[in-house]
Amino acid sequence: MRKHKFKRRAPQNEEMSLQITSMADIFTILLVFLLKSYATGAVNVSPSAGTLLPEAQAGETSVEALKVEVSQGAVLVEGQPVASLKEFRFEKGDLQANGSSASLGKALEKERQRQLLIAKANSDVKVDPKIIVVSDQRAPYSTIKSVLASAALHGYTDFKLAVVKGE
Amino acid sequence: MMVSGDSGHGSGSQDFELNLASIIDCLTVLITFVLASASFLSIGLLDAGVAAAGATAATDSKPPEVNLTVELGKDHAMTVKIGGKSTSTTQIPAKAGAWDQEALAQNIATLKQKWPELNAAVLTAGDATEYRDVVKTMETIRKTVPAVLLGGF
Repeated sequence: MRKHKFKRRAPQNEEMSLQITSMADIFTILLVFLLKSYATGAVNVSPSAGTLLPEAQAGETSVEALKVEVSQGAVLVEGQPVASLKEFRFEKGDLQANGSSASLGKALEKERQRQLLIAKANSDVKVDPKIIVVSDQRAPYSTIKSVLASAALHGYTDFKLAVVKGE
Repeated sequence: MMVSGDSGHGSGSQDFELNLASIIDCLTVLITFVLASASFLSIGLLDAGVAAAGATAATDSKPPEVNLTVELGKDHAMTVKIGGKSTSTTQIPAKAGAWDQEALAQNIATLKQKWPELNAAVLTAGDATEYRDVVKTMETIRKTVPAVLLGGF
């Protein structure tokens, strides 16, 4: 009978101790890194699903202002849908002679009145002309014009366009 | 006075081992939560004043000698208009079916050399022009002229 070429190894100790200290180090570093990258954006904007923001080189200034989002099917003010769109375009009945949108105008007027009330009650609070436009990159300029016209009519004249920071 | 035992691990001893397993549990939950709620898109803001509403930032009381207007027209053709002290219109045709951003940048750089005080431009576009093209053109103009205002409404 043929002899086994290799000798059978002696059974190893199956108990394995996990280096838990180094694991804790790794987790801590991961957490610090994630927390750091968590707050690097200039603005706290979370576009709705399916919205693609255009890419551009933009400033680092942190701004808090009223947010108007233009998505494929609706215009949202602070996350609440206020006007419906059909393939990024306002419905004809919603557009006024000056190019603004009636339903968006109504929502912006409500926001403006709220700001005025707060400013009246608290002298430290100023009425803010800033507005952040978060628009899908496929939206036509006619829709953007209508949004800007509606905003300008209600005192929001300092436009900020939200973009994804490029290289 | 409390005295610890010889071994140093008696009930009164301050020498103890930290239970790292529970700390790792906490860290895992924290990392999962941060990953789930984090947005990895770095969002920036572009300033766009309202030319039509007349709210342009007036930092200088003296009006500019020339006004620069860039229009994005049909078939990816651009028009660069100069108004004021001097008037001129330059057409920039499409390049391979796309906006010729390089030619626009060169054109604006030439205008800036001619009028160094040129610090603002108005950008308008046709109704069907996509927002991404408007932003891209804005970015091109901003390399030479710092203030770009959206117009046409």
